Amino acid sequence: MEMLAPNIYEELQGPGQFINILVDESWNIPLRRPMSIAGANRDQLTIIYKVLGRGTKRLVTKLRGDFLNILGPIGNIFNQDKFNNHHPILIGGGIGIAPILWLHNVMKGGSFQHELIIGAKSKSDHFLKHQPSRKIYLTTDDGTLGIKGTVMRVLQQVVNQLYEPMIVACGPAEMLKVIQTFLIDINIPGQMALESYMACGLGICQGCVVELTHSHQEKHSFGEKFSLICRDGPVYDISRVRF
Amino acid sequence: MANLKVSIGGVEFNNPVFVASGTFGYGNDVSELVDVNQLGAIITKSITFHPREGNPPPRIIETPSGMLNSIGLANIGVDQFIKEMIPYYASLETKVIVNIAGSSMEEYLNVLEKVEKVGENIYGYEINVSCPNVEKGGMEFGVNSLMTRNLTELLRKRTEKLLIVKLSPNVTDITDIAKGAKEGGADAISAINTVIGMSIDISSRKSNLATKFGGLSGPAIKPIGIANVHKLSSAIQIPVIGIGGITSAEDVVEYLLAGATAVQIGTANFRDPGIGVKIIAEVDAYCDSNGYYDMSELTGALVNDS
Repeated sequence: MEMLAPNIYEELQGPGQFINILVDESWNIPLRRPMSIAGANRDQLTIIYKVLGRGTKRLVTKLRGDFLNILGPIGNIFNQDKFNNHHPILIGGGIGIAPILWLHNVMKGGSFQHELIIGAKSKSDHFLKHQPSRKIYLTTDDGTLGIKGTVMRVLQQVVNQLYEPMIVACGPAEMLKVIQTFLIDINIPGQMALESYMACGLGICQGCVVELTHSHQEKHSFGEKFSLICRDGPVYDISRVRF
Repeated sequence: MANLKVSIGGVEFNNPVFVASGTFGYGNDVSELVDVNQLGAIITKSITFHPREGNPPPRIIETPSGMLNSIGLANIGVDQFIKEMIPYYASLETKVIVNIAGSSMEEYLNVLEKVEKVGENIYGYEINVSCPNVEKGGMEFGVNSLMTRNLTELLRKRTEKLLIVKLSPNVTDITDIAKGAKEGGADAISAINTVIGMSIDISSRKSNLATKFGGLSGPAIKPIGIANVHKLSSAIQIPVIGIGGITSAEDVVEYLLAGATAVQIGTANFRDPGIGVKIIAEVDAYCDSNGYYDMSELTGALVNDS
């Protein structure tokens, strides 16, 4: 879905950031829906979503020209400075591909060498082409497109062929957890963008926390154990999150 | 322009629309988006003596016309609050009321005394004896009339400022607890805190909240709030501040008719932190178009036909 949002576009910092959408003005759907930005161009923002729950079922009924109440841009960004002297491997899974695609396009525009691995359940969930020669690898659980299996299958192969790899990931918590365990074992750095239930996106509800591995007082969080994803995230160093 | 001013315990507020504790942070997080000075008052997130990490995630889940939360009184603690927030509040024109939570009489007292020393621009305290989400979050006071009275009495001796006791609907008789607060010297009652609720993910068969139970808020609880406010205002002679599911000027009017002197906006702030300011303008317009010169004419103006 594409939306004209000049005010948000003006304040946009980059991949990793998200918007919080009020999909229904009535209280039939009480809370906003946080959605990662999948692309931005000339005042336009792109989001990618899969119709799963009540919120996305409502969102899909919106027509060209409708107005949406959007809050944003929210959150921090992938730290691209850390890519220096590293070879980034971008990994997206399920509905978590949005910020990865945006980052991929930004890096492609800057001719920045990187690998892209996108995992999904089946062929119909993909909209890129599986092009290993161009370092774009698609995986499917059922083997209907690209490589059969999860993103881990590709990651385990490519990570050994690259000099100083660095992982950037977004996707379901189960996927991120597996990636985290794998990377810590082989001592490879990475960043990941987290998703969470969220009521406000402003730091006032304190609902969207993630537990940290080490005590650390973050700017917008009220302690040292939990970090507020909307204000201090959604991007974290891969070793800092306790799943 | 109707007169929207309300007076509670000798403190005059520009209008009856306040923001509820825990739904507006400390006010500073949204001050770039909202002209907070237009609000009748800001009730801060609960402050405890020590900082509190809060409960593990997931902490919130959407429910029909509302949400469940189990934040667990996550807060920065009174010392950091004084250091960071008191100077900010000094720059505000709106009145600030500090919400205090504790697990013992001493904790409430210690927090109040610390704020009392420095908070010249703090107009009062709201005593949270009704948080359903922590084991020792004052709920043991909030379900017992005598303990509520003793706690209120203790705090009353230490402050001349506005003292509001925030009550839970999760009790057998809310008026009984309110009477305890009044006898202890409370200037006002605010009600209701959230209603205990639970929601289960049927595929994982787990509760949607890490703490299993949470507090239900939003329009789903508005009729419970209205009923409790009406019971309270009929039973005690101190002002009642209505809370629960307010999303519009009509809801404010409904609470006033039920007997509230003022109201607090809660969950609606999460959708739109500017909703309070919009509602104030709408309440004004409502009074104008319905011939009320003074909004307080509405308080308790429920027609009892039967």
